[in-house]
Amino acid sequence: MMADKEVVRFKINDTEVEAEKGMMLLPVALEYGFEIPHLCYHEALSPGGMCGLCVVEVTKEGRTRVAMSCKYPVEEGIKVATDTEKIRQVRKRAWEVLLARASRSEVIRSMAQAAGVKETTLEKRDDDCILCGLCERVCREIVGANALTITRKGDRREVVPNPEACIACGACVYICPTDCIKMEEKGDERTIVRWNRTLKMQKCKSCGRPFAPIFQLNWIIDKANLSKDFYELCPICRKSS
Amino acid sequence: MDKYLDRLGIYAARLVSQKEYFVPGHRACQGCAEALAVRLMSKASRTNTVIACATGCIEIFSSPFPLTSWMVPGIHVAFENTAAVASGIESGLKAIMRKGRIPLKKINVVGIAGDGGTSDIGLQALSGALERGHNMVYVCFDNEAYMNTGIQRSSSTPFGASTTTSPAGKVVPGQTTWKKNMPEIAAAHDIPYVATACPSYPFDLMEKVRKAAEIEGPAYIHILSVCPTGWRLPPELSIHAGRLAVETGVFPLYEVERGRYKLSIDLPELRPVQEYFRIQGRFRHLTEEMVNKIQRRVREEYEKLKKKVMMTREG
Repeated sequence: MMADKEVVRFKINDTEVEAEKGMMLLPVALEYGFEIPHLCYHEALSPGGMCGLCVVEVTKEGRTRVAMSCKYPVEEGIKVATDTEKIRQVRKRAWEVLLARASRSEVIRSMAQAAGVKETTLEKRDDDCILCGLCERVCREIVGANALTITRKGDRREVVPNPEACIACGACVYICPTDCIKMEEKGDERTIVRWNRTLKMQKCKSCGRPFAPIFQLNWIIDKANLSKDFYELCPICRKSS
Repeated sequence: MDKYLDRLGIYAARLVSQKEYFVPGHRACQGCAEALAVRLMSKASRTNTVIACATGCIEIFSSPFPLTSWMVPGIHVAFENTAAVASGIESGLKAIMRKGRIPLKKINVVGIAGDGGTSDIGLQALSGALERGHNMVYVCFDNEAYMNTGIQRSSSTPFGASTTTSPAGKVVPGQTTWKKNMPEIAAAHDIPYVATACPSYPFDLMEKVRKAAEIEGPAYIHILSVCPTGWRLPPELSIHAGRLAVETGVFPLYEVERGRYKLSIDLPELRPVQEYFRIQGRFRHLTEEMVNKIQRRVREEYEKLKKKVMMTREG
């Protein structure tokens, strides 16, 4: 399977593991069944390193450091510990930061509670977003609509939408770990609530049911060089005819 | 519905895990939606999973000795005791974790069986496991007959369908009884999570499996798996047939979370069942009168379901 690729061998919690060179620690550890909490990592996207939950202790040449496993490339001979006293402390702190950032989020609160963190001492932000940036990365790397930008750094970090560019595909709705991006459909209009983007939907020529935003369909027709009437029918009527 | 999972389409699909736990090379028929459903299910339950798999199509095509398609450990069990074995695995894992023989972690125990193994032969074992409250997921892949032995009717075969043991002829028009409502039977056990799903709606299916695995206590998922061989339909239409089953109201997608009913896809109006029947050979003999009878029943059942949603709504 890994015949022509370089394989790296190392240890996670005293278990011998192997992985392809260039992979990050987190996906390897998860694949071997080790539990490492994470919120801003997705295998289809570049690593974010924003939530700070995936920290592990990495021992290399006798020196031990705390590192984020989503951004740490695997190396020959390293020793990784996923659950030490120090790691538990760092993770606790990370949960406190997340609780403060998304003080309104029920999802984050229950996750933090499950991890043993109930309250935060930090100043609370009135929001339900943890600023993980997954929505921005998925819009840029997968969809290619570039409708979201992350501005500023540190505690002034913000996700800024460009409603003109949003095609209301819902990829950010799907990926958001706190469910703070909501999609609504009323009649023949679809709204992505958080980005304040409302688009009219294409009605199926045959059954009359709206099935996707016209703006999105035209965007796809443009990108893929399809004929103008390619999306006249909804997926079901297209197959029936 | 929170996420409009049936509307996500083309970009969200690329966010689905590319790791396979149910790998290709198995011997399922062309267009088998059951194989697809198993693949999606295993993607959602991921690596820390133990499977208990009853006799049935899945077991026959995915693990003929000495081959296997499974990348997660599993036990092949007899027809009737999937739920019993799954609950045994769960109790066993609990015991060896308590004794410190393996580290404490979340391991999903998933029992999988066909409609025969669930609603006919395995019903009492399932009922027992649900009642005892084991922390496990039971998934029924319903292709509406005993397909791997040659399309014999089961209690899950819909009214009017022609099978080899309920053949349509001059006197008897195929299956003469209505389909057993398995999800309702499971829900009647008052378990924390019951859902219906269909691989034609992959995001919805995966979300339900993930939810079922996360919830503490028993969960039951009923998956309609279109079978082109047994339903007498061209293999390229199996996804389409699944969508029609949902959109005609024949197989509505819903979940019951702690007693609260919720429609996963709320259809403003149902398509006529004839659209669903027309593409399948097993319903070819149906007269207009019978179709109307089925249509009435489908409408009634859907209204009943909607009432349950209304009655159990929060707040």
